[in-house]
This record gives sequence, C-alpha cells and structure tokens, in this order.
Amino acid sequence: MQSVHRLVLGIARLMAMLGGAVLTLLILITCISILGRASNSVLHAMASAGILPGMAQGLIDAGVGAIRGDFEMVEAGMAFCIFAFLPFCTVTGGHASVDVFTNFLPRGVNRVLEVLIAALFAAVLVVIAMQLNEGFARKLNSGQTSLLLEFPIWWSYALSLFGAVMSAAVGVYVALVRLIELLTGRAIMPNAVGADH
Amino acid sequence: QEVTLTLEHFLPAQANVPRLVLDVWADKVEADSEGRIKIERYPTMQLGGTPPELIDHVQDGIADIGWTVVGYTPGRFPRTEVFELPFMVEDARAASYAFNKMYQEQMADQDFAGLHILGTWVHGPGLFHTKDPVAKPADLQGMKIRGGARLVNDLLTRVGAEPIGMPVPAVSEALSKGVLDGTTIPWEVTPAVKVSELVGNHTEFEGPGLYTLTFVLAMNEDTYASMPEDLQAVLDANSGVDFSIFAGGTQADADAPARKIAVERGNNIMTISAEQAQADWAPIVDPIYASWIADMEGKGIDGQALIDEAKKLMSEYTSDMDTWGK
Amino acid sequence: MSNLEIGILSFPFLLGLIFLRVPIGLAMFSTGFGGMWLVMGNTRLPMAQLKDLAYTTFSNYSLSIVPMFLLMGYFATLGGMSQALFKAAESFLGHRRGGVAMAAIGACAGFGAICGSSLATAATMSRVALPELKSYGYKGGFSTATLAAGGTLGILIPPSVVLVIYAILTEQNIAKLFLAAFIPGILAAIGYMIAVSIYVRRHPDAAGVREPVPMSERFQALINVWPVLLVFIAVVGGIYGGIFTPTEGAAVGALGTGIIALSSGGLTWRTLIDSFTDTARSSAMIFFIVLGAAFYNGFLARTRVPQELSAWVVDLGLSPLMVLAAILVLYLIFGCFMDSLSMILLTIPIFFPVISALDFGMSAEHVAIWFGILVLIVVEVGLITPPVGMNLFVINAMDPETPMVETYKAVLYYVVSDLVRVVLLVAFPAITLFLIP
Ligand code: NA
Ligand code: NA
Repeated sequence: MQSVHRLVLGIARLMAMLGGAVLTLLILITCISILGRASNSVLHAMASAGILPGMAQGLIDAGVGAIRGDFEMVEAGMAFCIFAFLPFCTVTGGHASVDVFTNFLPRGVNRVLEVLIAALFAAVLVVIAMQLNEGFARKLNSGQTSLLLEFPIWWSYALSLFGAVMSAAVGVYVALVRLIELLTGRAIMPNAVGADH
Repeated sequence: QEVTLTLEHFLPAQANVPRLVLDVWADKVEADSEGRIKIERYPTMQLGGTPPELIDHVQDGIADIGWTVVGYTPGRFPRTEVFELPFMVEDARAASYAFNKMYQEQMADQDFAGLHILGTWVHGPGLFHTKDPVAKPADLQGMKIRGGARLVNDLLTRVGAEPIGMPVPAVSEALSKGVLDGTTIPWEVTPAVKVSELVGNHTEFEGPGLYTLTFVLAMNEDTYASMPEDLQAVLDANSGVDFSIFAGGTQADADAPARKIAVERGNNIMTISAEQAQADWAPIVDPIYASWIADMEGKGIDGQALIDEAKKLMSEYTSDMDTWGK
Repeated sequence: MSNLEIGILSFPFLLGLIFLRVPIGLAMFSTGFGGMWLVMGNTRLPMAQLKDLAYTTFSNYSLSIVPMFLLMGYFATLGGMSQALFKAAESFLGHRRGGVAMAAIGACAGFGAICGSSLATAATMSRVALPELKSYGYKGGFSTATLAAGGTLGILIPPSVVLVIYAILTEQNIAKLFLAAFIPGILAAIGYMIAVSIYVRRHPDAAGVREPVPMSERFQALINVWPVLLVFIAVVGGIYGGIFTPTEGAAVGALGTGIIALSSGGLTWRTLIDSFTDTARSSAMIFFIVLGAAFYNGFLARTRVPQELSAWVVDLGLSPLMVLAAILVLYLIFGCFMDSLSMILLTIPIFFPVISALDFGMSAEHVAIWFGILVLIVVEVGLITPPVGMNLFVINAMDPETPMVETYKAVLYYVVSDLVRVVLLVAFPAITLFLIP
C-alpha cells in the first residue's frame, strides 16, 4: 500500500511540476511581450523623431513588438496550470478547512468524517471532469476560436481536461485510502496538512 | 404567472440597452401576456460566468433568454461578421433590418441552429476612445486598444495598434489601470462603462461607421417549445424584424446623449470627414474585405454574396418599417 | 420550500459543513450544487453550468496574478530578499514591541493596492512574511491575524477593482471615489497600528523585542534591501505607470526575483521543485475556493436571497441611519459567504436607490460616495470576522502549526479597530467627504 501511495504522490508531484513549468513559460512569454511592447514604442518614437528611422522602421516591420495574443496564452495556460496543481493539493491535504470544532469530537467520529469528506471531494472532482468533457465536446464542434490568435478553443479545454481527469483519479484514490484506513485502522496517508514537507 | 423566464446579460441594469431596449421589451411581453409571463432580469452576469459564455448559458437553459455580442464567440456564427466589416454600416435600423432578413433566410438553420432567436441587431457607428488624440492611423501605432470582435481586432492590427480582446464590462477597469490606451465602442455604451471619464479623446467617422458589432437576443429552444401556444404567440408578436429594427434604432439613438456627456466634460472629439476616411483609412482597412471573403471560402461560405445581400437589404430599408411598440 | 427559504437555509447548512472540517471550497461548491438541485428539481442546471465554469474560473486573466505572485514570494525567500526586507524593518522598528507586525501591515497594504484581491494579497504575503515574523519571535495566531487584516487594506488604495465596479453600478465619478477612499484608508492603517500596540501590551509574549540597533547598522540593513527595492520599484512603478497590467507585473516580479535567487545561489534544481510544488498547493487551494464561491454565489443569485433580504430591510420602515446600519450589518453577514465583487453586484442595485432616496442632510452625490466607501470597508471586514472569514481560512491553511482559534483570538483586535472606524465614518460623513470638491 505504501508503494502505491508513493506512486500516486509521485504522479501528483509530476503534474505539479508540469504545471510549474507551464507557469514559468507563461511568465517568460509575458515578460518577453512587455519587452517587445516597450521596444516597439521606443522604435516608433525613434522613427517619428528621425533617429535611425530606417533601422527603427525595419525592426518594427520585422515584428519587434508585443507577442500577439499573450493574454489569451496566459488564460489558456493558467487553466491548465490550476488543473495540473489540483492533484498534488488534494493528495497532500492542502485544501483550507476549519478544525476548531472537530477537535472536540471523538477520534472515531473524526475518522468517519474524514472518509465522508474525501468521498464528497472525489465525487465533486469526478463531476467537474465529466462536465468539462461535455464542454470540451461542445467546443470541438462549434468552430469557436480565441479572439486574436484564432486557435480553436477546444485546444485549451483539452489541456485542462487532462488535468481534471488526473485530479478526479487522485480524488477517488484519496477516498479509497481513507476508507481502507477506517476499516483496517492503519495509517497510510498522514492526516495533517503539510504532510509532504 | 404561468411562466417565469430568466433574462441574463452583461451590462448594469441602468445602462442604455437594458433600460431602453431589454426592459421595454420584457415589460411589453409581460403586459401582452396579461401577467402570465414573468421575466426575471439578471444584469451584470449575476448568474455567474463571463460574457462569452452567455450564448452557452442560453443553449443549456442556465438562462432562458440572453442578450449577447455575437463577436464574443469568434468563429461560431461566421455569417454575422458581414456587418462587422469596416465602413459597412451607416444606419443601424437599416442594418438591423438586413441582419434579421438574412437571419431568417440563411443563418437560422446554420449559424444559430439549436437556438430560438428573438431579435438580431447592430449598434450605431463604432469609434475610437483614446487617451492620446488619434487623427490618422499612424497615431494609433503601438497603442493598446480593445476590440470586441475578431474583425475589429483585425482592423486594429492593420492600423498598427496592439489589439486586446475583452468584453465591454472589463474595459473600465483596464482603462483605469493603464492596461488599455483606448477602446473601440459606440457612443451609447460610454456612460455605462465611464469611458468619457477615463479617456479625453474620441475619434468618430462621418458617414459609414468604422465598424459595428452584432447582437442577438436568444432564447433556449426547449423553454420556448415547452410554453403554451398562446404564450408562444405573445413572444412571436414581439420578436423578429420589427423588434430588431426597434432595438438597433433605439441603441443608435442613445449615441447622441452619450456623446453630449463627453462634450460637456470638455473632451476632445475629432470627426474624420468622409473624404479623409477615404484617403487615410480606407486604403489600410479595405483589404479586410478580401481576406474575410477568403476566410469564408475556407468555411464553404460565399462571403461576396453575403456582402451583396447585406448591401441590397440595407438600401431596401425604409422608415415605415419601424413599427414595433408604436 | 420556496426558493427563498432554500437560499436562506443554505447559510446554516454551509456553516455546518465548514465546521465539520469540510474544505471551504468543497463546502461552498456542494451547497451551491445541492441548493440548485432543490431549486430546480433536477441536476440539469448545475451540471450544465459546470461545462464551462471551472475552465473560465481557472483561466480568469485577473486571477492569474495569484500563482505568479506566489512563485515570486517563494523566489524572494530563496534569494534572501524577504529576510533582508524584514531585517531592515526590524532594525528600524524591532526595538518597539509589535514594530515588525506594523511593517508587515504596511507591506500588505502596498501589495493589496497593486494586486486588487485581498485573498491573493493575504496568500502571497503569508508566503513571504509568515516565516520572517516567526523568526522575530512573533506568535503564530498574531502573525496570521495581522496578515489577514493587512490584506483587506489594499481595497481602499486605488486602483481598486471593487470601487470601479461600484462607480459603474451607481453612475458615480471614479476619480472622486478614489479621492474619498484616501482618508478612510489612512485611518484604517492608523487603527491597525493602534490595534497592534494594544495587542502587544496585553500579550507581551506574542511579539519579540530587540535591542535598538545603531544607526550605521540600520543603514547597512537598508542597503542590503536594494534587490528587493529594485524588483518592487519595477513591479509597482510599472503597474502604476500604466506600463503593464497587474498580472504582467506579477510575471515581471517572478522573473526578477527568480534571477536574483538564481544568482545568489538560493535557487537550485531542488529548491525549484519545492517552489513549484508549494505554489501548486497554495494556488489550487485558492482557486478551488474561488470556484466554490462562484458556484455558490450563482445559486444565491437565483434564489434571490440577497435581493429579497435587501428588500426586506428596506421595508422595515426604519429611520435613515437605522436603514444604513441594517444594510451594513447585512454586508457583514454576506461577507462570511460571498466574495466582495458578487456581493456588490447583487446588492448595490437594490440598496443604492434606497439610500439615495433617504435624507441624510447631504447632496445626492455626497451620499453616494459616502455610502460607497462604507460598503467597501464593511465588505472587507466580513472577510476577517470569525468564525467565517475567507482571509482567515486561507492564511490559516498556509500555516499548518497555528490552530484556527489562535487566529480568531488575535484578529478580534483588528475587527474591533475596523468597527470603530466604521462607526466614526458613519457618524462623521465629513471624514470621507473632506477631500471631495
Ligand atoms: Na487596490
Ligand atoms: Na466574516
């Protein structure tokens, strides 16, 4: 069981790193776009003020400027990042909750609660993935594109769907582990938040 | 009442279109049904989500009726783009008439299959609202300008601006934060999003507008089908070509009072004459026609025929067709 | 059951779920889903909503700021920048009890101003400031409460998204509203400073005190701060100067701190992975709450609870001041369950005409501005009032060792300071309107 848990944790961490890599890419795209935009303004100012106008215009024509559709890329990429982040947050119990009152409840009640909450979470994550798939199917057939780059919207839905399916799988896994823990009395997954650090 | 319908849109309730078009329409439907239909109104996307989702909300029945900008879902309703072409539309009533005729002829079964469309219209001439003055295309070089539809962004790119696509409710925040240097919108919506407070310059065009956007008032097909026949008849009597003319006309008529606000604030309004527009702007933006026709060809649509049809229908319009609510 | 009853019963139900340790986002999501099911008689509607809602919430451009700033916070710590910043704050303020907490509040306010979301502010600042506050001997509950409260200050500092939305809904002048927020904002900062000093007087052990540091050392500490300042000036200057959007500013900040951390040797393959996984956990946690809130708020809108409760308050036939008081209390309650923007969007269209019709002995424009600032403040106070406050939940989740109760106890000082300020602003409208021509 411990080896299964290590495997799931590893996959979740891999997803988080994939999300982190995409996040880094988005940060770089954004910064390059700002740089391009600023250079573009300077070049325009140079061209109209007559400072090296040929070179300035040449660089403008060569495409020195903001990256077209940078906002859209951030939006599509960020949706993927968050879906990719969800499995790690879920498997390490990172979701914010209030334990003020449950601390007074008997241990057994708390363990049952733990199972019920994990089951609810699994159900919700599965529903989210299923319905995102519905949304994806609709975009696939509608011909809808993004506004500037005009890439099909379903591309970004497909990326997110991958993360959503992984999240749902991890959610179901966590629920099963909590159930096995309740039935066998063994501790497989630490209860506390921040277990992984 | 027998039937409660939800009506969802993206503007504040007191903005021109909700107040002068949607409320007037909904009140009339309620009255004509003798109180058997009630229309609950949800402005500013109160039911959740973003403006581009409105059309999906209607399709799924999350809202029974929705008012939306067709261009917010680019590529999905390709034929409607004919009215977004530069310098295409001069009179919003004539264009709304043409739009509805063409909707009935060819868009209903193709672009809008699966939706029950109550009205189709366009806004008055679109124009620039910018922080720095714009007289010629060169003045737009490098400016970040918001556009509301695919072809508007194409136009912005051609004049050298940096197009940023966003729905109209996001404009005021973006202008106040400096995300935008300006925006394209018709005069009518400027008070609702405070544009005249946030920029000091406006560039309008004499004669045909730089562009227009298209709107639909769409209804969920199943909701419509589930209504008793006499109530369907009430809706039928308040939808179609005459309502579309009213909506487009009313929206365009709201341009003048909104323009007055900018004048009273002492903003700088630049009016480009028809000759100047032909000399400075047309050479840059007119190639959009050819590229759009090519685009449509790729989708198996005859773009030139759509342009011809739209022009023919617009010239066919006469003011005695403006009958809804009168 | 009528829709209205379902909507009202959803409050205690949600509260019950939260107290049973159901994660906040999940509790709101489930209540919204179940509520919609009851209202509509089937699950078709909430299911249909989910086709796009999760995607559009997670792809929201303004919210993209959250993961980027969180990563920036991690890099700033790896590069030694957070430590340098707090070292400088400590060398100037460390000999005063609570001095570093005051500095942290200032930092939160500045950060909240550019970020626009108090939830994101609270989360980012906890990443940067919590470990530092603790290393200066600050107790967990006091630290979390301080950051939660500090995060609410940013909303009063322009460019405030909520203020822009209020201006649009009520057709008021944005510039005048920004101006009107100025003195209440200063008052808020002063009030929090007083709250800190009272807290540390009553709990001397909650905050560490150092020997005063000689001037030369203070300036040395200040000099060590230059990399932070460089990044800070680039980010804040760029956003205020209109060179880039707040989200773009977050990207610049993340890249800048990343480069500094790399060159100082703090950023390695190993720590990069840690920063990714840590950013992943916190971002997913926050976005899931935002998704749950969006879903729940959509359900509430459909039951018309905010609208009907508002109408009910209006119909009570109270005196103008009592109506105002009732409205503000209602906002405090809504503040437990809803995000600031949804609350404003749903209720202002109803409350504003009512307030405008009442006689407060002022011009219509002054009433509108005064009411706007009051609502803005109260909406944010709701985020930190126990037992349900989103800011409290998020920050507490970022600090596993501190029990929620400790955060509750400490945050009460800030809540009291907030309430005193609200009473002052209600009693003396001139404070808000002083700068308005
Ligand atoms: Na702010
Ligand atoms: Na609260």
